[in-house]
Amino acid sequence: MITFAFSFLFPFLLVMVAGQSIVGLFRDNVGGWRTTLILGFLAALIVVIPVGGFPLGRWLISINANFSIPLTALVFSKVWENASHIKLLDRKAFLSSCIFGLTAGLALYPMALGLGRFDPYKFGWSFSLLFVLLMVITVILVFVKNRFGIVLVACILGYDLGLLESPNLWDYLVDPFFALISGVMIGGRLIREIRSKKSHSHSVSWATRAEGSMR
Amino acid sequence: MDRRAVIILSLATLLFHAWPMWRYLSAFDHEPVTFAVFSPLAPEDNGPPHMAEEFISNDPGLAMVHVGSICEMADGSLVASWYGGTREGTRDTAIYFAVRAPGESMSWSRPRVIVNRGSASKELHRFVKKVGNSIIFTDSEDRLWLIYVTITVGGWSGSSLNVKISHDGGTTWTGSQRLTLSPFLNVSELVRNNPLPMKGGGFIIPIYHECAGKFPEILWIWGGQRDQRITFRKTRMAGGRSFIQPSVVACGSGVARAFYRSCSGDRVVAMATTGDTGATWSEPQNLELPNPDSALNVLLLSEGRILLAFNDSKQTRNNLRLAISHDGGATWGRVAEIENSPGQEFSYPYLIRSLDGRIHLVYTWRRKRIKHVVFNETWINAQIEKASK
Repeated sequence: MITFAFSFLFPFLLVMVAGQSIVGLFRDNVGGWRTTLILGFLAALIVVIPVGGFPLGRWLISINANFSIPLTALVFSKVWENASHIKLLDRKAFLSSCIFGLTAGLALYPMALGLGRFDPYKFGWSFSLLFVLLMVITVILVFVKNRFGIVLVACILGYDLGLLESPNLWDYLVDPFFALISGVMIGGRLIREIRSKKSHSHSVSWATRAEGSMR
Repeated sequence: MDRRAVIILSLATLLFHAWPMWRYLSAFDHEPVTFAVFSPLAPEDNGPPHMAEEFISNDPGLAMVHVGSICEMADGSLVASWYGGTREGTRDTAIYFAVRAPGESMSWSRPRVIVNRGSASKELHRFVKKVGNSIIFTDSEDRLWLIYVTITVGGWSGSSLNVKISHDGGTTWTGSQRLTLSPFLNVSELVRNNPLPMKGGGFIIPIYHECAGKFPEILWIWGGQRDQRITFRKTRMAGGRSFIQPSVVACGSGVARAFYRSCSGDRVVAMATTGDTGATWSEPQNLELPNPDSALNVLLLSEGRILLAFNDSKQTRNNLRLAISHDGGATWGRVAEIENSPGQEFSYPYLIRSLDGRIHLVYTWRRKRIKHVVFNETWINAQIEKASK
């Protein structure tokens, strides 16, 4: 029952973000408790409205029944930020989540889909090194006061409660969409940094040349 | 985060990890997992040679039927499942079910649909485009299990597995439960061949992945009592893109052999062994038997012999033969030809042995019917003698 109820959370949050974006087209401020309440009510209505025999929110679940906890947290953080202008996941936590998502995705998907004989997915079925690794990473992040540590605490709590359809810990940590988004974010950041370095060195050399010609 | 929050979160992390660790450690109390190996009746206890044929799917209205499976209930009745529709992979495919009461004079009941895309969608609360392969089997409490394929997007590579249980011999069924077995959108997990029961309950079920890679896997599944949740996990048998649809035969409490359908250019049956109840498997070894990229099935006979039903060709499925191995699958001798008709298809054999010692073979007959062939070991021995002359 808890798994079924939780499956509506991600679709609900997605509809909320979409609603806030639409409101943003007409108003500068998409926040405020009244707007958030109305949008929340509408989003809840949309995800439970039956279409084709089952709730609309479950159509998204037809494609992927296990949206990871970090991706859910990222979307929740965005909804919260839009509503209250408070960032639950700050820049440092956001970057950490992207590094985590990309690393976990690269460690899991190629081999799980058949690259080689080794299957890392097996570590998620019961207590294993994966759990120990997660515990160590979580504690380190908490100690350095990185808020992504709280998301990882939520991952293991969600696993214990059985919030997702999957009984495998990997599915609580990463999903293909989260890995893809993480890759795009990190790739975009790297490209921006390379470009800014290039333009910086270009402007430095231009300045040096200009200085030389002035002499 | 202040210092108190750091301490609370750290303690919460340790506490939340303690639960899965405790569950893992408490599992060590149980006895080691081994196969429940049933000793086949000696050939002399099987009576005179016996061989009979009949059709299970007696409804010729269906344009296409495929992938039959069969099992025996405690009262001796046989039940079978398969899928049918206008053609393979269409949205109107459904999983059919029929029963044959014990007794020579009895015949198969009229097939009825137990799963179609509508019922699967409703039970799984999600969109299902079509249904496919299924296997049916009983557990020690005489409950019927049906494991079946559903597809949401794409073709067979988009398959997911689901399970249903019947407590009354197939009259009524529980709702379907989705089995999450793949981290990538839970797609590309399929089932074909017989499960192996485990001592103390549960099964290992040979399954396979068919997407970027094509490789055999093992599904470990337990539970299913009225108020007990089904638990499961998955391990890999081999990697690569060459072997699917494993058929596994237990040769001892922890020893089993798997025979693979070949997807590679070699077009031969491959074999692997396990000595630790399916946890790890040897590298697949090619055998001399041909395989036209088609399903095969094995069964343990008396004196450690293994019976194989297969398409004896590298190109076509127009014949179905039986072969027997006396040395654990290393070498094989052909013993009988069940079908041979150029231009036709006889495929996807599935073998079981009933409590009376008889062997039941079901297979796809020209894609039009599911055929049921019954014989005993005495008949097989007679075929071996005939072949050696």
